[in-house]
Amino acid sequence: MKRLWTTFHYTFSNLRWQIIGWGLGLGLYGLMIIPMYETLGAQPERFQQMIASYPPEFLAFFGADINSPITPAGFLKMYAFSMLPVIVGIFAVISGSGLIVSDEEHGRLDLIIAHPVGRLPFFWGRFLGLLGAMVSIMILGWLGFSLMLGRSSIGFNWGQMAIPFITLLIQILVFATLALVLSMLLPSRNLSAMVSGAFLVISYIIPSLSFLDQRLDMISRVLPYRYFQSVLSFKELNLTWQFALLGSCLIMVVIAWLRFNQRDIRLSGEGSWRKR
Amino acid sequence: MAINNSNNHYDDLAIEVRELTKSYGKVRALRGINLQVQRGEIFGFLGPNGAGKTTTIRCMLDMIRPDSGKALLLGLDPQVEPVAVQARTGYLPGEMQYYDNLTSERQLHFFNDMRGGCAEWDYVHHLADRLSLDLKQPIKNLSKGNKQKVGVIQALMHRPELLLLDEPTSGLDPLMQQEVLGFLREANSTGTTIFFSSHIMSEVERLAERVAIIRSGEIVEVTDTVSLTHSAVNRITIRFKRPTDFNALFTIPGVEVLSQMDQTSVTLLVTGDMEMFVHSMSDLPVLDLETERPSLEEVFLNYYKK
Repeated sequence: MKRLWTTFHYTFSNLRWQIIGWGLGLGLYGLMIIPMYETLGAQPERFQQMIASYPPEFLAFFGADINSPITPAGFLKMYAFSMLPVIVGIFAVISGSGLIVSDEEHGRLDLIIAHPVGRLPFFWGRFLGLLGAMVSIMILGWLGFSLMLGRSSIGFNWGQMAIPFITLLIQILVFATLALVLSMLLPSRNLSAMVSGAFLVISYIIPSLSFLDQRLDMISRVLPYRYFQSVLSFKELNLTWQFALLGSCLIMVVIAWLRFNQRDIRLSGEGSWRKR
Repeated sequence: MAINNSNNHYDDLAIEVRELTKSYGKVRALRGINLQVQRGEIFGFLGPNGAGKTTTIRCMLDMIRPDSGKALLLGLDPQVEPVAVQARTGYLPGEMQYYDNLTSERQLHFFNDMRGGCAEWDYVHHLADRLSLDLKQPIKNLSKGNKQKVGVIQALMHRPELLLLDEPTSGLDPLMQQEVLGFLREANSTGTTIFFSSHIMSEVERLAERVAIIRSGEIVEVTDTVSLTHSAVNRITIRFKRPTDFNALFTIPGVEVLSQMDQTSVTLLVTGDMEMFVHSMSDLPVLDLETERPSLEEVFLNYYKK
């Protein structure tokens, strides 16, 4: 347990600047967006006019119709949460793909793993460190979104505001674990980051476009973003979807762990596309 | 190499490698390596780049898994009990890489934490002082030699029972090489077994008690350093009183011409038994004969020609 804790501690510490950067960025976005509802809500006719001027395809892309952005939940869905999985997903992809392989490609893992840590505590310590970082970013974001709720007529409490951040956490966990498992299977970190980054973007675009083109509906069903729910009550939350996403994360982490446990630790540069 | 099956014999072994094979794709890095290193021994592992030295060491520490065969360290199988083996072992990789933004001290604290904090910090400072290493310097500002010093300290700081060192003096100046070799002798005097790879013959000559030579993934010789340097080859320079036809010498098995100035002087490399060679010179008008003990380098190159 001590060995797992040591690895967790170092992984979490090494991610501290990312936590601060991404968490504060997300929090500041929340601090700005909640008062923005007041500004727009103070002039409902003009807000309605502005929404009406949007092309219906644009609204459909965000899964909205002409009336939904005017409601508090619709406003938050369209202006606050719709893009967050893809934005914070960038952190998830970069961190997930480099969680183990970054040290390996820099030639550091060879010596680290020669210490009496054990591959199992090392892998899970690192993964829990990343999970801790993602949770911390979500908490900072949630705080930013919640701090101004008391002064807003948006009508949600801190608990309700936590729900979209739970589903957002699950979303980015999917992309982090995908990047992690790919980093264990593909020859380089760059390649795993590229593939999972492409999947992140596709996962956002296809379900959004499927609102416009029904033919894309079948494809979008296998993409995680389809199951992202920026809802603000547990009643609306589809727990089956969320647990299915968590289950897929677990499967990917276990595959990554098995692969890490079985494979040779590479020396720096082996398998990389980098020029030597 | 015959493997003794008595338990006492195994208790005395710090390292036992049996029929170890490892391939990287089509490249056969190790082709059935057998090695036995006694506890308390200083053992040199010689070979050029790509011969399989690093692969052997990495197999011993469970960083790579052999295709077949087994390595036992301190009586333990690193594939079954890697943590127990690593806890009692110090390792210095061939190429040291660190977290560049850390100072040497922070980096060593990291390694110590990964070991469960068992290092004595006074000993770390003592080693750093002797190596003239400023532990407060960020790693990114250190030269290759200073980075190597940090590596040497991390390998020694927990006073391991067994040291596995991949080219330990790489990048160090001659003075620091002496200091590091001194550390290793001191560690050995307290019972630490030292297994180190090198392609620097003088280093092996100075340090090792026994040596194994590896060529293309195969052990071609395991012997004690003194025997190897004394018995294997001799470099002989002969000067004759007058121009002489000494071609008959070249037909003796194991004799090879290194240089021939004219018909009055020749330098030969004589491998194996000297008796036949000395006999055949009895008819020649020898003015002077000089025998040089070959360096391990020449011995090594001789093995590689085989």
